[in-house]
Order: sequence, then C-alpha cells, then structure tokens
Amino acid sequence: MAGAIQRMQGIERVNFFGVRHLSPAASWHLLKLLNKLKPKCVLIEGPSDSDYLISGISREEVVPPIAILAYTADKPVSTVFYPFAEYSPEYQAMKWAASSKAEAHFIDLPSGVMISLNPFKGDEKENSGYYSFVEGLYSDLIKQGGENSYDSYWERNFEHNLNEGAYNETVTLHSAEIRGLLEPEEFKCMPSSNAVDLVRESYMVGQIQKYLLKYKPEEIAVVTGAYHTARMKYETMPMSVGELGELPRRSSKLTLMPYSFYRLSSRSGYGAGNSAPEYYQLMWSSMQGNDLGALPIKYISKLGRLVRGNGGYCSTANIIEAVRLSYALTYLKGGAMPTLSDLHDACVACIGHGEFSELATAFALSDIGVAFGYLPEGISQTPVQDDMNRELKRLKLEKYKSTISQKLDLDLRGNLKVKSEEAAFLDLNRSVFLHRLQFLGIGFAQKAVVNQEGATWRESWVLGWSPEVEAKVVESVLKGDTIELAAAFHLRDKLEGCKNIQEAAKLISISYICKLSGGTDNAASVLQALAVDSGDFSGTVEAARELSMVIQYGDIRRFNTSALEPLLQQLFLHACLMLLSVSSCDNKAAVSIADAINTMHIISQENSEIVDGMEWDKALWGLAGRDDKNAKLSGAAFAVLLERGLITDEFCSTEISRRLSPGVPADLGAGWFEGMSMRNHYALLSRINLWRELDNYISSLEDEEFRKALVYMRRAFGGFEAYEKNSIAELLSDFWGEGDTDMAVFIQGGLEGAEASEIDGLNDFDFDM
Amino acid sequence: MPKQTDILRLPAEKLYQAEIEALIAEDKDEKPTGWQMSPRSVLKFIIGGKAGKKDIVPKYVGHDRLVEVAIATLLTDRCLLLIGEPGTAKSWLSENLSAAVCNDSNMVIQGTAGTSEEHIRYSWNYALLLADGPSEKALVKSPIYRGMEDGKVARFEEITRCPSEVQDALISIISEKNIAIPELGGELSAKRGFSIIATANTRDRGVNDMSAALKRRFNIVILPAPADLKTEAGIVMKRVSEISQSYKLKAQLPTEEAVIKIVTIFRELRGGATLDGKQKLKPPSGVISTAEAISLLTNSMALAASFGIGEITDEDIAAGLQGAVVKDESKDQAAWKEYLENVVKKRGSEWRGLYNACRELNG
Repeated sequence: MAGAIQRMQGIERVNFFGVRHLSPAASWHLLKLLNKLKPKCVLIEGPSDSDYLISGISREEVVPPIAILAYTADKPVSTVFYPFAEYSPEYQAMKWAASSKAEAHFIDLPSGVMISLNPFKGDEKENSGYYSFVEGLYSDLIKQGGENSYDSYWERNFEHNLNEGAYNETVTLHSAEIRGLLEPEEFKCMPSSNAVDLVRESYMVGQIQKYLLKYKPEEIAVVTGAYHTARMKYETMPMSVGELGELPRRSSKLTLMPYSFYRLSSRSGYGAGNSAPEYYQLMWSSMQGNDLGALPIKYISKLGRLVRGNGGYCSTANIIEAVRLSYALTYLKGGAMPTLSDLHDACVACIGHGEFSELATAFALSDIGVAFGYLPEGISQTPVQDDMNRELKRLKLEKYKSTISQKLDLDLRGNLKVKSEEAAFLDLNRSVFLHRLQFLGIGFAQKAVVNQEGATWRESWVLGWSPEVEAKVVESVLKGDTIELAAAFHLRDKLEGCKNIQEAAKLISISYICKLSGGTDNAASVLQALAVDSGDFSGTVEAARELSMVIQYGDIRRFNTSALEPLLQQLFLHACLMLLSVSSCDNKAAVSIADAINTMHIISQENSEIVDGMEWDKALWGLAGRDDKNAKLSGAAFAVLLERGLITDEFCSTEISRRLSPGVPADLGAGWFEGMSMRNHYALLSRINLWRELDNYISSLEDEEFRKALVYMRRAFGGFEAYEKNSIAELLSDFWGEGDTDMAVFIQGGLEGAEASEIDGLNDFDFDM
Repeated sequence: MPKQTDILRLPAEKLYQAEIEALIAEDKDEKPTGWQMSPRSVLKFIIGGKAGKKDIVPKYVGHDRLVEVAIATLLTDRCLLLIGEPGTAKSWLSENLSAAVCNDSNMVIQGTAGTSEEHIRYSWNYALLLADGPSEKALVKSPIYRGMEDGKVARFEEITRCPSEVQDALISIISEKNIAIPELGGELSAKRGFSIIATANTRDRGVNDMSAALKRRFNIVILPAPADLKTEAGIVMKRVSEISQSYKLKAQLPTEEAVIKIVTIFRELRGGATLDGKQKLKPPSGVISTAEAISLLTNSMALAASFGIGEITDEDIAAGLQGAVVKDESKDQAAWKEYLENVVKKRGSEWRGLYNACRELNG
C-alpha cells in the first residue's frame, strides 16, 4: 500500500471523549472535562471540509437545532445531514472552543467521500440477518438491565448520572463491549458497512496525528461517537494521503441550515437515541440550572398544561400523583430518577385514564415538540438561502417560517390606499414569489383551492416550513444564486425538454405568473415552433386556451401580454383550419374534439378582439354543412352556430328536416342529434319545430334502424336534466294529440319489466350488423 | 367455623404458598410497611422467575410493564383500578397482587346492583345492636373496613356494577383514608399498607358509569387481550393444567394442537378477521375471552373424563365451542356457521375432524 504511515507515539495520551450523539449528559460531562483540562485544540467528529463553518455555528445568535448540509455539486443530487441540537456534545464542544479561544476542527471524512460511501452502508441485501442479530443482542441487554427499551436502559444508566467522571470511561467501555459483540457478525453480514466505519476511523486518526504535530497529546481533546473511541485510541492505523485519494469521491458543497426537532426525532444522521428531542432539551436546560432532579416534575407539569390546552382535563392533583407514580416505578427498577418511559406510563395511569391514545397529542408536543432552528443573516449559507431569507423579509412572510402550517389569503388587486408601489402590490409580489417556489418544487407553500368561482384576483396558500424545504432551497443553488434565477433556469431546462404544445403553453403561463420575463420569449418561440408542426387539434386548442387565460389575467397580474397576442392568433387560426380535417373520425375520438370545439367557442367569445372569429365561424359552417364528417361533430358545430343566433329559423328547420329525413341511417341522423344536444338545451327546447321533425323521423324508422337510433337517443337525452325531460315530454304529448298532462305522465313513467329488459338488450348492440 | 379440607378452589396465597415463602426467604430488598415482601418480589411473583431454587410460575403473561405500573401504584398509597374486556385476567391479577402484597386475597367486595353503602363501610349485627346498643362488638365490618384496620389490600370486583351513589361512598375512604362511625362517636383511620384494587369491565360501561370524582382517585391500568397467538395459547395451556390438577380431572390434558385451534378460533372471532388478516369475519355478539377458552377446555376435559374416552376429542371441543360462541341463538348461529364454512372448512385435513364435529352440532 502506497505510503502507509505509522501511528504516532503518544496518541493514546490524547484526551479521547466518547459520546452518544445528541446526549445531554455527554454534553454536561464533556463541558466539565474541557473546563478541567483546558485543551488548546478540540477535534470533533464531523466532515473535515466543513471546518470553516465552525465559527458560524458557534456564534451567539445561532439557535439550534441546525444542521450542516452537504450536497453534491452536480446531478443527481445527493445530500447528507449533520444535525446538532443544543444538547449535542459536538455543538457544545464548538461553543466551548469559541469561548475559550481554543481551536476546533472537524476530523471525519470529507463530505464528498461520505456521500459516495453512504450507499455502501445501506445495502439491503446484506442487512436482514444482521439487524435481527443486533436486535437480539440489545434485547438481551435490555432484559439484563430490567428495562423495557434500549432508550430507557441508556437514559437510566448514562443520562441521569452527573457525578464527575461517570460518563466518559463507562460509555467508552460499554460501547467497546457492544462493538466487540457486534463486529464479527457485522463483518460477516454487512462487510461494506463495517468497512466504512474502519475507513472513517483510519481517516480520523490520520487527522488527529496531523494536529499532534502542532500540539502535545495532552493539549488535544477528541470528541467522537463512543463506538469509535477505544479503537482509535489504541489500535487504528492512520490513513495516508494516497489511501484517501483512492476512496470514491464526488465533488460536494456545504452549507448550514436550520433544522427541526421533528426531523431530529424521525430520522437522524447520527443514529438512534433521539425519539424525544423536546424532552432532552428540557433535560439539558435542567442540567444547566443544576436542577436535573426537577426534570420529572417539569415534564409532567408541562404535559398537564398541554393536555388542558387540548381541551382535556388534568388537575394539579393528577400531576402530583403522576410524579409520585413515576418515582415508584423508578424505585421498582432501582433507579434514581424516572426515565421517559416511567414518566409516560405514570401519566397514562394517572392522567390518561389508562389510555395512551388520550395523551398522544400532548406526548407528541412534550416529546418531539415544534422547535425550529435559526441562523442569523450573513452566516455561511448558500446565496440562494440568503436570497430566500431576503425575499421572505421583503414580502413580510417571515412569520410563516414555522413548522406549524398557516393559511395566507392574497388579494392580487393593487391596494390604492397605500403610498409606495411596493406596498400596494405586496400580495401580488407574494404570489409571484410563492409561485416561483412552487415551480421549483420547494414545498414551503401549497396552493389551496379557492371556492369563489372565477375570482382571478384571489389566491389562498398554506405555508409551512420544514428542513425538507430548506434542503430543497439549498438544492436550488445548482440552478441559480437567487430564487428568481433558479426559477428562470428551471424554466429553460423544462423548455428544452418540452415535447408537446400543451406543456409549452403551460410553461408560458408559468413564466408570466412567476414573472420570469426572460423566459417568456423563449417559451413563446418554443411554442410557436411546436405549433407549426402540430396536427393535434385538442392540444392546440388547449394551448390556445392557456394563452387566452394568461392574457385575461394579464391586467390583474400586471403582465404585458402583448407579445402573446400574435401567438394566440396563430394558434387559433391553426386550430380553425384543422377542424374540418380532424372531424373525420370515429365516435371515440369525437369526444375530445367536441370538448375542444367548446373551448374554441369560449376563446372566440372571450378574446374576440384578438382572434379571427370569422375564420372560426367559417370552420363551423363548413363542419355543420358536411354530411361526410363525424355526424356528432357536425351536430355539435350546428349547435354552436344555433346558439350564436347565426342560423335563421327557416334554415334551421330545413337543416333539421334534411338531417332527420326518413331514410337517413340511424347513426347519422341520431348521431347528429346527439352532437347537437350536447350544447345549450334551451336553444333546442325553444324550437318546437325541431321536435316535430325528430318525432317524424323516429316514426319513419324501420324496426332495426329504430333500435340503432334508440342507442343514440338514450345517450343524447342522458345529459338532460329531469325538468328538461319533462318539457320534452309535454312537447311530445302536444304533438300526439292527447293534449293534457296524462301523456306526459305516461312518458315520464318508469319502464315496465319487458321494456326494461329489451332496452338492456341494446347495451351490447352490434353496430356492424 | 370448622376447619375445611378438600376445598374446591384455593385462594392464591394458599395455592402458591410455597412460592410466596420462597420469595420472602430470598427477599433482600426493603419491604414497604404492611407488605410481606418487597415490590420487586411481588413483580417476580406475578411475572415469574426464580426464587432460590424454586421456580416461580408466571401468573400474568405478556404485559410486564402494566404489572409494574400496578405495583408502583400500590406503593404510592393510591388505589388501583384495573379495566379490561371480560376475561382479560383483571380479577386474577388483583387476587394475585393482594396475595403477594399482604398474603390475603379474601377481602373482596363483589359489586352488584344490590351492593349498598353498608357493604362498603360497615353494618350491624342487629341482635347485638338491639340487645346492647351500638358497640364495637355489634359492628359488622366490611372487607374494606378490615383492610383499613389491618393495613392490607382490599379488593372491589366489578365496581361499575354498583349504583353510582354507592360508588361515591368510596370517595372519602380513598381520599381521607378513614371511615367515620358516628354511632360509636369515633372513626377508623387506615393503617399504613391499606389500599384498594378495583376492577371494572369495559363491556359494563353502559350499566353504571364510574363517577368522574371516583375515577380521578384511581390510577387506571387497562389490561389488553393477550398480544399474540403464542402468548394466549401459552396462558390457556398453563391455566388448564393448573385447574385440572386442582379439580382432579382424570382426562389427559388437551394437546397443544387443540389449544392452538381453539385460541385461533377465539382470536379470529374476537378480532373480526382471520389471523392472516385476509378475510373479514362477522364477530358474534358475546365476548369470547381467554377465560372462556380456559373454561371451554376444562369443560371438555370433564366431559371426556366422565363420559368419554379420557382424552379430549373433536366432539368434546365442538360442544364447548358451540356453547361459547353461540350465545344469542338467532344472530350468532349464522355467524358461527359462516365462519365454519368459510374459514374452518378450508383449513385442510388437520381441521377436518373439528369441522365435521361442529357442523354436526350446528345442523
């Protein structure tokens, strides 16, 4: 092996301090020890390339939980977190070093190597056997300690004991013993996971040796997971530069981000032991106040208040009894102080009437909590995080940076009562910002559905922060240094991959809503290019509709949409010209085309001053007059013209009698009628002549044709409301001379058995007969 | 009263006398006032273990932590309320706890609709009362009175079956730990070690709700049904063998296979789904508890011993199952039949005998 180096003399005299990550007692004992030894150099388990972040982390204004986030500089983005709570020994070590003018350094593998090695740790194929082995071992340990869970075991044995020197040696020994039992099995089942640990230790020892060149062993303190301590102190060989070079490595960047207790409890980059960060925080603050003994009382009182806050019942007497019971449970275990599990069980028996579920919400708040970290401005962050914070401040959205979701209603109309333009359009600017976030996939804001129909000036959002949001923000740095630039980049990216016309129109709309003016032209030209070649009628219409909406909202959102108008004209014309050719289709395809015809009608009405309505009318006339196109679509086109009042009564009856004249096959005649009835029913009901023609037509049909027609008719009338059917029934009874409502009642009556089964028989009617 | 021999059912402290003695002999921990052994020994007595060379039989299996909470409650002079479905060993746990703590599980009040305040406090021997007037001698002490006097654990079974005004008589006893006896112009204050273990049935909630005032004064432990098939089968097996010994049943113990079959049927009907969760079932109206599985098997043993071949057959079990499941003829009959046809029938040859026997009975 190239350039293997030796362990240096005296490394075992370095002050190693083995901790459990996120352990208040570890922090407590560590601080005691640091104050006693006053080392000049504190070395901490953490990515060595993030050394420069330490000064930021240890600043006064920082409020944990925070995390170092390492992310790869190129795609696919991989991330790794190093979270710190206030009670993390690593965090306390950094704070101590800063206040005692000692050096502090991270000594673990650089983040780029960690990211590349991580996949090796979780190889699922290897895991199964090992995990059950670990579980078995721990359950033996738990049983021997007379506890119910490893957390209780740990808390009872290590967290409650604040006697001097009670932590370091025992925890180190304990961890070394456990490692001795686990490692052979790990080596067998998960060799790569085992190897990652060994590689890390070797690197850390190498780093320690580096600082040994500068300091005496006694002047150095090393804070790492206790799992590694004994091995590094006595055995591990240091890694050489050459060996480091052989490790896989992706280029990575680092940043700081606020973290949340929720995230800390659900998954942690540092292993187990943090199911209850809020509780551990309480424990830490009790230790700080030299008042650890009061922790059970504080915890249960807090829980009691939460229960009351949730509308539950909890008296002071209940709280007293719960505290007493928790101590009685402790007495059974021979412990000095109740563990969290003792406190839980006592609360369930004394406050929750024996049911955990009654207290579940309160427990979630008292154990996990909603704390969210804070990083002051200017602390090392990615530019995009800085921009995010600036924007939040500018738009007065800072109070929404909380883990509890809140609702925000926006009124996009300018507020004329205020002086500055910025203030007048605050909500509009917010909307732009939130849309940008949404477009980037940053889950800070979710758009809620607004009920008020057509209220284009109103928007409702639900805002809530989480570490995932922060991580997403950080990931956006790959796209640009500000949210706006990132969104513009993202838009460009999307446009490049854009293959169909609707998507392109959607992107145009996004470019407006997100005010990415640079992207708009680009998007427009992409759309234009796609539109020229497009033979997709529905898609073109959909795209045109998207544009017409943008143009309509333009005023309220203060867009300059003039650039879009020629594009809309072009799409509209394209669609008009396509209509006739696409209308030679089967009934299945006709459904979407009929929808598109409706949409085109809407566009022609709403944007009448932009689009060429004449051309559309021409297309409709063409389709309505043709007998060789899909009859349903011809009917639909006729209905639109009828509704617009472009058809005279005389022409109408001529056309109807022509379409429904005896001898016309049922699929043409009845299909035409079906198409026509898809639109405005009133326009049909008001034309008595139409019904007379229809009546005559149906009576003229042969039996077989009648059966065919029946299928179309049933479908056509399926869309009518009950009262409309009622009017038709009355109309028909007029024709049939009965003249009174009896006939209408008869027509409205349900089908009798034989009729019903015959109608059912039509369900699988074969049109090819 | 004459000394009895040949007692049908021994109280826990007699049944497990040897175990209790072994535990006391071995006990090194501090004993709370009024307790005959330390809390940890009580725990061991309930959940099983070893005292010296003596094996301690587990009395309550599967939920050690609940037992710990129960014992800790007694340590804090609070009263304990055990709640659970019928047949989840509430009374059994309460009996064994009091046997372990104070060697006396006999101070019991059985709650019924007819329980009156006198049953809870004290009443009078009216002959003496009329002859001599109120005196200590004429006082008839309730189990709770005696518990307070001796500093022992009194038991109150099925507390929700009592009318609520009677339940409320407990309030002052639990809070103030004394009973006023105005007739004698004095009062009785409880001696250290006194406590009450009450049990209540979740199915009885509608009969008499427990007053909130009383509920606040208890630490409440809810006893769940056994967590899994293996635990429940183990519990059934163990209790059946104990009971058959004390009843001197001559039949052979049921095979493990038979026990597992019965417990499977019970668990499935109780849960309303097959154990693999694939099939939903219609649960019968009655409760089908572990306790019923135990009594079903001991019944079957008695049947087999007296009228059968000395060995439990499928027919014996079928007869028992029919009685346990079908409590409301009209509804349960259908549910049971459906279960037999849809589930048992399809379970293969091992279940064939049982299926045939059940079908025969069920018509």
